[in-house]
Amino acid sequence: MSAAVMHPFVEALVAGGRTLPASTASWLNTRRAAALERANALSAPTPRDEEWRFTDLAPLNRLRVVPAAAGASVDVAPFTVSEAGVRLTFVDGVYVPALSSPGALAAGVTVGTLAETLKTKPALIEPHLALHAGFDQQLFTALNTAWLRDGAVVHLAKNAAPNVPLHLLYIATQKDSASCPRSLIVAESGAQGTVIEDYVASGDVADTAYFTNAVTEIVIAPNARLHHVRLQRESAQAVHIASCAVSLAKDASYVSQSIAFGARLSRYNLDVTHQGEGAEAVIDGLALISGQQCADTHTTMDHVRPNGRCTQLHKTIVGGSAHAVFNGKVLVRKDAQLTNSAQQSRNLLLSPNARVDTKPQLEIFADDVKCAHGATVGQLDADQLFYLKSRGIADTQARNLLTFAFGAEIVHRIPVKSLVARLERAVMTQTQAG
Amino acid sequence: MSSTAIQELVNQPYKHGFVTDIESDTAAKGLNEDTIRFISAKKNEPEWLLEFRLKAYRHWLTMTPPAWSNVKYPEIDFQNISYYSAPKSKKKLASMDEVDPELLKTFEKLGVPMNERAALAGVAVDVIFDSVSVATTYKQKLADVGIIFCSISEAVREHPELVRKYMGSVIPVGDNFYAALNSAVFTDGSFCYIPKGVKCPMELSTYFRINTQDSGQFERTLIVAEDGAQVSYLEGCTAPKFDTNQLHAAVVELVAMDNADIKYSTVQNWYAGDEKGVGGIYNFVTKRGLCKGVNSRISWTQVETGSAITWKYPSCVLRGDNSVGEFYSVALTNHYQQADTGTKMIHIGKNTRSTIVSKGISAGHSNNSYRGLVRIAPTATGARNYSQCDSMLIGDQCGANTFPYIEVRNPSGKVEHEATTSKIGEDQLFYFQSRGIGAEEAVSMIINGFCKDVFQQLPMEFAVEATKLLGLKLEGSVG
Repeated sequence: MSAAVMHPFVEALVAGGRTLPASTASWLNTRRAAALERANALSAPTPRDEEWRFTDLAPLNRLRVVPAAAGASVDVAPFTVSEAGVRLTFVDGVYVPALSSPGALAAGVTVGTLAETLKTKPALIEPHLALHAGFDQQLFTALNTAWLRDGAVVHLAKNAAPNVPLHLLYIATQKDSASCPRSLIVAESGAQGTVIEDYVASGDVADTAYFTNAVTEIVIAPNARLHHVRLQRESAQAVHIASCAVSLAKDASYVSQSIAFGARLSRYNLDVTHQGEGAEAVIDGLALISGQQCADTHTTMDHVRPNGRCTQLHKTIVGGSAHAVFNGKVLVRKDAQLTNSAQQSRNLLLSPNARVDTKPQLEIFADDVKCAHGATVGQLDADQLFYLKSRGIADTQARNLLTFAFGAEIVHRIPVKSLVARLERAVMTQTQAG
Repeated sequence: MSSTAIQELVNQPYKHGFVTDIESDTAAKGLNEDTIRFISAKKNEPEWLLEFRLKAYRHWLTMTPPAWSNVKYPEIDFQNISYYSAPKSKKKLASMDEVDPELLKTFEKLGVPMNERAALAGVAVDVIFDSVSVATTYKQKLADVGIIFCSISEAVREHPELVRKYMGSVIPVGDNFYAALNSAVFTDGSFCYIPKGVKCPMELSTYFRINTQDSGQFERTLIVAEDGAQVSYLEGCTAPKFDTNQLHAAVVELVAMDNADIKYSTVQNWYAGDEKGVGGIYNFVTKRGLCKGVNSRISWTQVETGSAITWKYPSCVLRGDNSVGEFYSVALTNHYQQADTGTKMIHIGKNTRSTIVSKGISAGHSNNSYRGLVRIAPTATGARNYSQCDSMLIGDQCGANTFPYIEVRNPSGKVEHEATTSKIGEDQLFYFQSRGIGAEEAVSMIINGFCKDVFQQLPMEFAVEATKLLGLKLEGSVG
C-alpha cells in the first residue's frame, strides 16, 4: 500500500505531533520520534487488512479533526465514583487538576500525571512507557505515541495495596477534535489494586463527532494482582480507538472487565502476554449497542511461558442496525506447556438489521495444553420468554429482563458497587430503548 | 516411554510409493493459449469448451496465488509443469482383459483388485489413471435407471447440453487462482447425472492416481442430482512416491435440486513427502456444492492424511429453503505436512441448517489449521449452524490452529461454535495399559475414538478403509 492517501485525521495528528515541544527526557523524545516516523509511514487500515476485515473506518476517515486544545471546565459530578480513593481527570487529553481529587493514598502508591512523574520519579516510567504497546505496524498506537506529552501514571510499589479503586477519567468536550489519552499502570511484585479507566463525553459534543485514540500499558510484576475496569461511554457520534497492552510476569494476575456503550465506531485491542510462568488472566467484555453503532473488540492472549491460565467471556447485545465485531486470538507458544485457556463469545441479536461478526481463533504450538473456545450468535431463548410470560410478565418486560440478565453477568463482575449500580441502570435504559 | 512411542507410531513410511512404467503421451512443459488449444484438440472438444478454457486462462493471468492461508511453500513455476499426460490408448477397450496389465498391476499393489472388488462390494469404479478414463464398470446397471456416470470427456461428447449448463455454475471460472487454472487446463474427471426421482442403486467411486513425474493433475468433477434424486459418491486417492512436488488443483462441483441428496466422501492419502519434508503433493482443491432446490442436502465427508500441503474447503451454498449442508472432516498431518482445510457454509435460504465437525491431528513438525466460514445472509431467516472443531497435538514441534469466521446478518439465525485442543494423556494410556491393551493399540483406539463422529458418516467400505489408514499411519514398533 502506498502512503499517498493520508486521511485527514492522520494528517492532523502527524502535523501536530511534529510541533509538540520536546520533553526534558531525551529517551521520551527518541520514542516519540520513532513513533512519529512510523505514523507517517503507515497507511490507514482498510477492510482488506485481516485485522480490520469487518470494521469500516469510513466514519473516521471522513472526519476532519484538529488536535484538541486545552479543555474547558466541565461538571464531573455525573462521572465520579464514590468508592474511588483518587481521581485523575483529563479533559480532551489534558490533565485538569481542578477536576481531579488526589485523595490520601496508602504507602507506595503513586498516582499522577506523566509530566509530573517525569520530573519527580522518571525511573518509574522509563523502563515501561511506550515499550509494551507496539507501534511498528499499528498506526493508531504510533499516532498516540507520537503525541505522548501527558497521561496518567499509576505505580504500585512492592507489596503496596491501596484498598480503594483508582479512577482515571477521560472527558471529551470539543467537537471535531482528536485527543490521544495515554495511561501507564505498573504493579510491582506482590502489589495489588483496582484501576478504573473511564472514557466519557460532556458538553457540546453530545451529538457531534470527535476522535479519541487511547493507549494503555499495564505491567504486572511477579505475584502482583491488578483488576482493570474499563468503561467506554463516548457520545453517539464519536470514534473511539483504543489499545491496551498487558504484560504479566511469573504468577501475576490480571482481571479485566471492559464495557462499551458509546461511540458511533469503537475499536478496542486488548493484548495480554503471559511473559512469566503461571500467570493468570480473566478477560471479560460487554458491548451494548444499537442504532448505527459499530463496536469492535479484538483480544490477543499470548501464552509465552508454561502453566498459564486464561478465561475469557465476551458478550455483545446488538439492536437497531448496529454491528458488533469480536476477534479473539489465543496463541500458545512452544514453551507454554500446561496452558489452560478458554474463551467464550456470546452474541445476542435484538433486531432484524443487527449484525455480528465473530472470529475466535486458536493457534497452538505446544502439545500438553487445554484450550477451548466457543461462539454463539442468536436471539433470546423462546423457552425462557415463554416461562416468564406464563407467569404473567408482559412480552416487552420479559424481553428486557432477559436482555438485562444477559448483560448483567459481566457488569456484576465489577468489584465497585456504585459503578455496578450505575451500569445496571444504563443497561436497563438501553435495553428498554432498544 | 509414551511420547517417543507415539512419535514412532505416527512415523510410518508411505506404503504406496512406486512408479508404474507406462509410456505416456505427455505435452511439453509450459502453459500458454497453445497448450490449452493442444489439450482441447487432443480431446476433440467442441468450440464452446475451448472458449470456456480460454476465458478461464485469460482470467487466471490477471490473478495472483492466494497468500492468506497458513501454509508455506516455494513459489510454483507454472511454466515448468506438463499440463497433459495420458496413457497411450491403442484402441478402444471392450473388456477388462484388454486393459494394460501394467495398469492392472498398479491397482493390484494398491489393493484394488477392481474386477473382484467391484463385484464383491457392488461398487462401480470409474478408474482414472493420470488423466484419461480407461475402464468403467457397472455402467449398464446405472444406465438402466437413467444415471449418467462417465468421464467428463465422454460427457462432453455424449451430453454436451448438461455439461455446458452446469459446468462453472457453482464455481465460476474466475473463482480463485487454482480454480481458474483448473478451468483452463483440466484434462479429465468424472461426471454424474442422477435424473428426477432416482435413487442411485450403488455407491459411486473413482480412484485418482497421479503417475507421470512432473505432470500436474487437474481433475474436474461435476455431479448433478435432479429433483428427489439421491447419490453417494466416493473418492479415494493414493499416489506414487516422487521427490519433486506435484501440483494437484482439482475442482469439484455439486448441484442439488429440490429434495435431492448428495453425499460426497473422500479419503486422501497422497504422497506427503519424506520425514524431512522433501517432495509430496500440493493439493489445492476447490470443492463446492450448491443446494439449489428446496429441502436439498449436500454432505461432505473427508479423511485427509496425505499431501505435503492440503488447501481445501469443501463448501455448501444453501440457497434453497430448508436445505442442509454438512461437513465432516478428519485431517492428520505428520512430519512437515501442512494442512489448511475447513469449510464454508453460506446460508441464503430460509430455515437452512448446517453442521460442521472437524477433527485435526498434528504430529511431527506439521501444521494443521481449520479455517471455516459460517455466513447467515439477511434472507436466511431461521438458519441454524452447529460447528465443532477439535484438535489433537502429538509432540511439541507441531501446530494446531483454528480460524472460524462467523458472520451473522439475520437475528433469527442461531450459530454455535465450539473448539477444543487436547493431547493423548498419560493417564489415558495408563488406563488402557492397566487393562492389558498395548500402547500402540491404545493410541490407535484413542485416535479412532477422537475421529468417531466423522468415521460414522463414511459409507461402510470407506469407514473400514479410513480406520485402516489411520491405523497404518500409527502402527509400528513400541518401546
